[in-house]
Amino acid sequence: MPIPLYGFLQGDTVGLLILAEEAETLQALARKLQDAASLRVERRDHVQVVYNDKTMDPTMTVAQAGLQALDRFDVLSG
Amino acid sequence: MLSREEWLPLARKLDWDYSYVREDEVFPEVISGRPWLPHSEWKDWEESFKTSYREYVDNQYEKDMAVQAVHDAVGRIENVQKLALPWLNSLKVHAAALPLAEFTGVIGNLRGARFGRDSAWRTMATFGALDEYRHTQIPLLLFHPLLRLDSQFDWAHKFYHTNNWFAVAARHFFDELTVGQNAIEFHIATNVVLETGFTNLQFVGLASLARESSDHMFERMVTSIQTDEARHAQIGHPVLATVMKHDPKYAQYLVDKWFWRNWRLFSILTGLSIDYLTALDQRPYSFKEFMEEWIIDQFLRTLDEFGLEKPWYWNLLLDELDIYHHMIYASAYSYRATLWFNFVIPGPAERKWLRQKYPKYWDDMDAVWEQISERWRTVGPGPANEFAVHGTALPTFCDLCQLPLSAGTPRKNTARVFVHDGRKYIFCSEPCQWIFLHEPERYANHKDIVKRVLSGEAPAQLPNLLTEYFNLTPDTWGKDVHNGDYEWLRARKDPAA
Repeated sequence: MPIPLYGFLQGDTVGLLILAEEAETLQALARKLQDAASLRVERRDHVQVVYNDKTMDPTMTVAQAGLQALDRFDVLSG
Repeated sequence: MLSREEWLPLARKLDWDYSYVREDEVFPEVISGRPWLPHSEWKDWEESFKTSYREYVDNQYEKDMAVQAVHDAVGRIENVQKLALPWLNSLKVHAAALPLAEFTGVIGNLRGARFGRDSAWRTMATFGALDEYRHTQIPLLLFHPLLRLDSQFDWAHKFYHTNNWFAVAARHFFDELTVGQNAIEFHIATNVVLETGFTNLQFVGLASLARESSDHMFERMVTSIQTDEARHAQIGHPVLATVMKHDPKYAQYLVDKWFWRNWRLFSILTGLSIDYLTALDQRPYSFKEFMEEWIIDQFLRTLDEFGLEKPWYWNLLLDELDIYHHMIYASAYSYRATLWFNFVIPGPAERKWLRQKYPKYWDDMDAVWEQISERWRTVGPGPANEFAVHGTALPTFCDLCQLPLSAGTPRKNTARVFVHDGRKYIFCSEPCQWIFLHEPERYANHKDIVKRVLSGEAPAQLPNLLTEYFNLTPDTWGKDVHNGDYEWLRARKDPAA
């Protein structure tokens, strides 16, 4: 079951609803948000995922990071 | 026979002592408002401009004739066709947002006309209701016939009856401001904050923008409406003065809450019109300059007049003057098919002007416009490519103002998740969260667009959302006014140019 999350990409003008899978990595989640915002924000290779004010290990899965429905995550330039 | 000076004071003050009901039964707190005070505390309620019904009707008749004359002279479709395309789309925004919002003002004023605590207040509110009815009818009369020119003008009638995301936000605002409101909060929020604080001056500004854009019909319409606003806005002042005397903390809360709520909607309607939908050579000022000169100074004087403090979020609001409406416009452009009017990309000259007027954050906004322009450059112009230059993921909305989560800056969006009674909410900003937490029972059950999609109430796929839930059609959904065909974009595509 996909987990709806509020994604905020640094450089963007609006938050987006991102549907995450429990097993996907935070790196993949960041890419998903970058793709969704690519009309407004140029894609960058090096980014960081921030959740609850902490920079997360990008190899962690969504479930391991503890992301729950309607949480906020940020993708910042690395 | 009594002269006007003799009978008008008698007619205005027709309160009496009740013999078989209590005063708090005639004026229950739930609908008259708080603090509940006996009539002795309201009996000196005094409007500064006094009028009789006969004088009112004579004046309004003259004003209606003047509007009609201008409409006959310059309001024909061929006149409207001569307007610049961006301005025509600013008209569509106002054509939709204004008329039925004014109608909710009729309802609010009628509440004051029944539940206001002094008869002079009730009489003035009756005139206020008639004013607002006029402000409903005039724009409907002027704008709806433009449907023959452009089907997007259908939204003059349609807007508030849809679940379009901006209509949901506007309804959330006006339903609370006017329809579901007690008399005291209605008159403070509407007359003191919205009208004295924003629209009375906004209409002066809009009239000047319309004049610069050679739109004399709209100029006359807003000028005519503004003269009514200036009169009935005075109702709120003696109401606020009495609340201030008995419960200053509550008075401060109402002013703080409503200034923020008004700012959110106003910055979108007026900010977009001034800085994007008015041709560059016809802009007399930037939105920020307009706010600083007309709204901020006047509001601070009003606060002083009543002994109120600046709202606690004042510095945050001043910072937003530089960025909020820019974030909204870029977001709305990239989701333009979700709205009923068309958008324009700011070209190099506009961006230079915007950088000059908004140096603080423009670098970040410029990068966004460069990226959007690049997409048009890649896919090429034309109606067929509109959706190739359009967002696909669902944008997100604030659980208080119902507007997109576009607050803060592109570097740091200020949205915040908050759990209340086991349910998760998200707010675009601290003031929106603060308002929610003061009256959660009022707001907690309202679902924003995202929650409606997640609960299956609204379709998740964008095409279905547009047509089935937002009531848009391929004819009416928003597009780029030039379908991406800008001379400056073409010039850049050709390296030799």
